[in-house]
Amino acid sequence: MNAALLRHTWRLQRNRLAIVSIALTVWGFLPPIIYARFGSQFTALVQSGLLPEQFARVGGGDIFSLSGAIALSFIHPIATILTSVFAVGFSAAAVAGERQRGTLELALARPISRRVLYLSLLAASFGFVAISMAALVAGSVSGATFAGVVKELAFGNLPLLWLNSVLLFGAFAAIGLAASVSFDRLAPAFGTALGIVVAMYVLEVLGSLWPAAEFLQPYSLFHYLKARAILNGLAAPFDMFLLSSVIVIAMVWSLAVFPRRDLAAPS
Amino acid sequence: MHAIETVGLTKYYGHLSGLAGSLPARLRASASPPIRALESLDIAVRGGEVFGFLGPNGSGKTTTIRLLLGFLHPTAGQGRVLGLDMVRDSVAIRRRLGYLPSGIALYDTLTGEQLLDYLADLSGRPASRRAALCERLELSARTLKRLVRDYSRGMRQKIGIVQALQHDPELAILDEPTEGLDPLMQRAFYEIIDTLKAEGRTIFFSSHVLSEVERVCDRVAIVRSGRLVALEETARLVARRKRNITLRFSGPPPRLEAVSGITNVEQGDGCLTCRLEGNVRPFLAAIADAAVVDLTIEPARLEEAFLEFYDEAPSA
Repeated sequence: MNAALLRHTWRLQRNRLAIVSIALTVWGFLPPIIYARFGSQFTALVQSGLLPEQFARVGGGDIFSLSGAIALSFIHPIATILTSVFAVGFSAAAVAGERQRGTLELALARPISRRVLYLSLLAASFGFVAISMAALVAGSVSGATFAGVVKELAFGNLPLLWLNSVLLFGAFAAIGLAASVSFDRLAPAFGTALGIVVAMYVLEVLGSLWPAAEFLQPYSLFHYLKARAILNGLAAPFDMFLLSSVIVIAMVWSLAVFPRRDLAAPS
Repeated sequence: MHAIETVGLTKYYGHLSGLAGSLPARLRASASPPIRALESLDIAVRGGEVFGFLGPNGSGKTTTIRLLLGFLHPTAGQGRVLGLDMVRDSVAIRRRLGYLPSGIALYDTLTGEQLLDYLADLSGRPASRRAALCERLELSARTLKRLVRDYSRGMRQKIGIVQALQHDPELAILDEPTEGLDPLMQRAFYEIIDTLKAEGRTIFFSSHVLSEVERVCDRVAIVRSGRLVALEETARLVARRKRNITLRFSGPPPRLEAVSGITNVEQGDGCLTCRLEGNVRPFLAAIADAAVVDLTIEPARLEEAFLEFYDEAPSA
């Protein structure tokens, strides 16, 4: 990895990272409060049959328990969109965007190999995702504290939740970066990365809402972040293994493809 | 040792290679033909010289530079830069060179100073020449504190020149370096090149502005349609090219058609124009007895020699 490139990337992204982190903290703050205020009422509604049972398990989250509420904050579209600013936006633009603008060659004219450039950008992506996820966890803990339900939280499981979520969005970042090194222009790289995230999100939500579509869920990476189970002490090592495997495959692809590509003059 | 040496360097875009190259003939035939960007280029740039690389747009200049920098992979042939293999030792080569791309793109959200600091950091060498370069190019400390997005085209080009040379590289590859510079700054840039040359640095200078190549380069290579059509000392190229002659006379016109080196003779009312190549003595002998009123021999311009090469060289 290249320290100068990492510093430069941090400098360019720090304001965006601050905004995303604050937004995720605020977002993470809300579900525990909603659970504390309205959790029992929603439970009664579901038990009465007025609300379908599927609402109790949207993407593995719900508002009937603190762990379910925090899980909901992780799988909710708001969290996905905010985290995708880096997992998709930054990673897809990291190489293809710089290439399209013509700034990539400023770095590559220096003594820095394409592999080192890629690994530095991957490290930066992971760093941004890790900070974003830490902000979401911090927001959830703050919300639980504010709502007076923090006693229900097993703090020992939080690092595992953070790690699993970093692996999930890290996998998307690795896929985004793999798309970025594979295209000369930003649009196809961004479209590919975003398309994969959206498709996987749809598979997961569809499977969680509609029992007949449950078989689709294992094809979605979102399925391998089971936040409620982790918070309840039922973490599945296979989930993290699978997400790690996706990251490794994306890395192997990128490290094989990027150094072999021709970087013609930017148009 | 040559600073740059290429042997049979060839680059096709869109050619089928590897697995794709083993496709059935029917499929290969249906693929669009490759673009021959560079065809068997043989050049040798001596250490310490300013080498001009001339050619119109699309002639292969930028492709050659991108091959030397490792941005492109050659289809065939090989090259050595500063004694190192162009493909295998690309990172080690880039440690010792400076590069100014044509139409340079910069990070608009950084100040000029931040950008130069970042690029010096990436180079891994101190920016020992920055102060002198900025002074010569009139880039003040105040200017460097401004965001790049507020810079004019000329100022961006100056930053481009500084970033390419600030770490005192052994070899500078400059792709159309005076693009966007006003005449005063162009002169300042030529002085920088003179200084670097005096200190033994090698400059590979790509341009289609012939007057500046004539001004600063020791040797010139001319490429056309990806092929090298000439490689000569600049002075010899200038000496070889034709000169335009305008002769005014009273009385009978001198007979110049058969004179050695004279071509394109055109005669008007008391006026004759022609072109002269090589030794001037036969021409002077031929007009010795003519009643010459006025004689103009235009100083030879590299542009004309360049255009002659393009007229004479066969299309690829």
